Amino acid sequence: MEAVRLHTVDPGKRAVTRALRYGLFVSVALAAVLLALLAVASGNDRLLEQHYGTLLWLNVAVGVALLVFAIELARRLWQRWRSGLFGTRLMARLAFAFTLMTLVPTLLIYLVAVQFLARSVESWYDVPMERALESGIALGRASIDAQLGDLQSKARAVAAELADAPPNQWPAILNRLRERAGAQEALIVTGSGRIVIASGGGLAQLVPDLPGAQALRRARASGGFAEAEPADAANEARGLKLRVILPIPHTGGPLGDDQRLLQLVQPVAPSLAENAEAVQQGWRDYQALALSRIGLKRLFRITMTVTLLLTVFSAISASFLLAGWLTGPLSMLAAGTRAVAEGDFRPVKDYTGRDELGVLTQSFNAMTRQLDEARALVERNQQELERANARLASVLANLTAGVIVLDESFVVSLANVGAETILEADAEDLVGRPLSELPRLGEAADTLHEAFTELDEDHAAWQRQIPFRRDALPPSDAGRDAGASQTLLVRGARLPSPQSGWIIVFDDVSDVVTAQRAVAWSEVARRLAHEIKNPLTPIQLAAERMHLKLADKLPPSEAEMLVRGTQTIVNQVGALKLMVDEFRDYARLPAARLAPLDLNALVQEVLQLYGPQEAAGQLRAELAPALPAILGDAPQLRQVIHNLVKNALEATERQATRSIEVATESVRRGQAVAGVRLVVRDDGPGFTPGLVSRVFEPYVTTKPKGTGLGLAIVRKIVEEHGARIEAGNRTDDAGAIRGAAVNLLFTKLAKSEDNCGAHTTLDTDGSPAAEPVRPAKT
Amino acid sequence: MKRRTAIAALSTAALLAWMPATRAAADTIEPLRATLEPSADGEAWVLSADFAVSLNAALEDAVNRGVPLYFLVEFELLRSRWYWWDERTALATQTHRLSYHALTRQYRVLLNGVAQNHATLAEALEAMSRLRAWRVMPRDRVRSGTSYDAWLRMRLDTQQLPKPFQITAITDRDWNPQSEWKRFAFTP
Repeated sequence: MEAVRLHTVDPGKRAVTRALRYGLFVSVALAAVLLALLAVASGNDRLLEQHYGTLLWLNVAVGVALLVFAIELARRLWQRWRSGLFGTRLMARLAFAFTLMTLVPTLLIYLVAVQFLARSVESWYDVPMERALESGIALGRASIDAQLGDLQSKARAVAAELADAPPNQWPAILNRLRERAGAQEALIVTGSGRIVIASGGGLAQLVPDLPGAQALRRARASGGFAEAEPADAANEARGLKLRVILPIPHTGGPLGDDQRLLQLVQPVAPSLAENAEAVQQGWRDYQALALSRIGLKRLFRITMTVTLLLTVFSAISASFLLAGWLTGPLSMLAAGTRAVAEGDFRPVKDYTGRDELGVLTQSFNAMTRQLDEARALVERNQQELERANARLASVLANLTAGVIVLDESFVVSLANVGAETILEADAEDLVGRPLSELPRLGEAADTLHEAFTELDEDHAAWQRQIPFRRDALPPSDAGRDAGASQTLLVRGARLPSPQSGWIIVFDDVSDVVTAQRAVAWSEVARRLAHEIKNPLTPIQLAAERMHLKLADKLPPSEAEMLVRGTQTIVNQVGALKLMVDEFRDYARLPAARLAPLDLNALVQEVLQLYGPQEAAGQLRAELAPALPAILGDAPQLRQVIHNLVKNALEATERQATRSIEVATESVRRGQAVAGVRLVVRDDGPGFTPGLVSRVFEPYVTTKPKGTGLGLAIVRKIVEEHGARIEAGNRTDDAGAIRGAAVNLLFTKLAKSEDNCGAHTTLDTDGSPAAEPVRPAKT
Repeated sequence: MKRRTAIAALSTAALLAWMPATRAAADTIEPLRATLEPSADGEAWVLSADFAVSLNAALEDAVNRGVPLYFLVEFELLRSRWYWWDERTALATQTHRLSYHALTRQYRVLLNGVAQNHATLAEALEAMSRLRAWRVMPRDRVRSGTSYDAWLRMRLDTQQLPKPFQITAITDRDWNPQSEWKRFAFTP
């Protein structure tokens, strides 16, 4: 199975993306290195001292980068918070806690360190130290000044002696004078700095130490120059030397205005020079420190601040990372939980850690797997149940028996197609209605109810035959009394718990009952015919013989009586024979051989036999065009039509005018042709009220000479054809009887494509009743 | 709303306090004049220039307390090219070291290993501000008839200050005096 990658957390929208994480790591590492360098540079490393500024700026740059990272992380956290992403609260809390944990101690250390440094830097400087150094400098100056004064007076003495001597003797006496004065070097220069005579100087010093132009100028201008200066111009630390320049007093003579200057140079005693130099160096360092203490404090402060900021930003970023790392598996689990809630049982991606979170993830995955299996099992069971239900439903639907399930309070909770047919209502109408309100049941409902209440533990079921009126059948021309009774076999039982209730099964046994009755009748007729017909011929023969033998031997009066008697016997036997033949016909009616046939043609063929009546306008046919062919046995149906027409003619025999109609039409149910109807109507006296329901039973007749078998045979044939027959009276608006009508409905149609041609419109429920009752012709 | 404004104000203040204070200071070094001419021996081009150099109070104090200051004179010769950046024909620098010798109370200016002592700071600055016969490039470096741009300036070399002053120099313009670049046309 494929693992769920956090579907709610888009990898691109995660709190810490990979790029950001690496950037953070690099920044923190860089910050650490730079901080170390800065710390070294803050010390007294000569190499890094030059790059201190650069380092500082680099640190600041890294600090800004970290700040940007921290702000970006905080922004992302805020966004996640706003969008209500799971785990954000915990993440924010953790990040906040971590940040606080590092921030507070760092800040404390920072503040203390800054304070401490400022104090200690200040404490380096104290007034006594400074005064001591100043005094040392002053002391050095004083001793140098004293030596300088000494040299100056010596120089003055030398100059005075030189002035006394003539210049050409100067080279001779200068050396002497220099040695007496104790100077290292003596020099006589012209006013422009050219050497006249030089004396002394170390062996190493080939070039005499010439006075600078400035010194000469000052000596000429102010009558003397005395100064201490470094022994080595390039290096101040090499001791000091004293230089005195004096003009040699002008004594007049050949020199004219060309002035001569005497310069004496003497090094300061090395011990004095070194000590003075050391004092000066100390003073200089001290002064530099004193001057730079603001800068120094600032240096420390900036270094500390940069360190603080780097630390804090790193800590914030690290805390975000840490929080994300901790809450990541939780978000994953949350996503998994949501997925499970939505029915997605894929396992979440395994968190690879070996800690409790990893165990949690694995347990979660195990749980989802079990849930998935359980759900699959439930689904399988459900499917099986549904299949069983569907099977049951189809069994119920294909059952001709009606099945009705009632709940505890006798309200219908289920009804099958058979029940719909029998009760002639849709299942939707039936379900939810109490038993007593079901259509067509009428008083039968009470009977059923009663039967149910009589059930006890010993009798779990009952069975009854209930007749009920078929009043929902179309009244058609037959009128209101034309209801036929239907016999139902009803069984009832209590349903087993837990869904306790009742079940009723109806079986329409009226056809069976009718068929049984018909079979019984034909059996009676056959035997009767056999038993009666056998003695009839001997009776007739005996009567005729009696007439033949005795007619001539009796006196005329008796002979006449004999003739009448035998004639009566013969006539009655003939009538009896006819009747017996009819019985036999009824009993021996062969099974119908169904074949497609055109009912219209058959009707016309039969009516040809009644040419005179038809010609007289007493009989007419109303045949619907394009009538679909039906399946029927032509000779039997011919007899049916013949019987019906004959009945109608006989019923109207005594009327002056009569009108008999034979009509055909096709019956539609929706668009499809459902059957063909044949109606025979007359305007005779109609059926008597008591006769209507029994008119098709044998031996029921209104005619003086009828056997009562005509309509019985008709019904038998009609039933063989699977058709329906009804007889009834036609009434006018006032309810007066206007004649009789017999209605036949053939529903077995030939399977032919021509059978869609009929256009007679019918009522929509498709019941055979279609013809409105019209006043009969007079 | 109030709190947010307060936070914004605070952060702005912090930013301002942290940023280097950029105080406008009057220029204490200014190039006055400069000429470029062939040397006496004809082998090189020599530069003569005059600057007006004066130290502000902070720097003067520093000098008087013995802190040596290094002044850097930079010279650049550029030939403009229409198709590319300017070509740098010559580059020369010169460092003056100005220091105070407390024992002898002298100001010393050291240039190319030659020291000059001056009794006063003004004299020392005066000596430093006059540049004479500085051999900036060989004679054949430039082609005659071509016009060049010469650039010259003098500034305090803060890199050579003691470290604490470097920090000060970063944040304090008083400690970072430098002249504008003086540009003059040169056509040998």
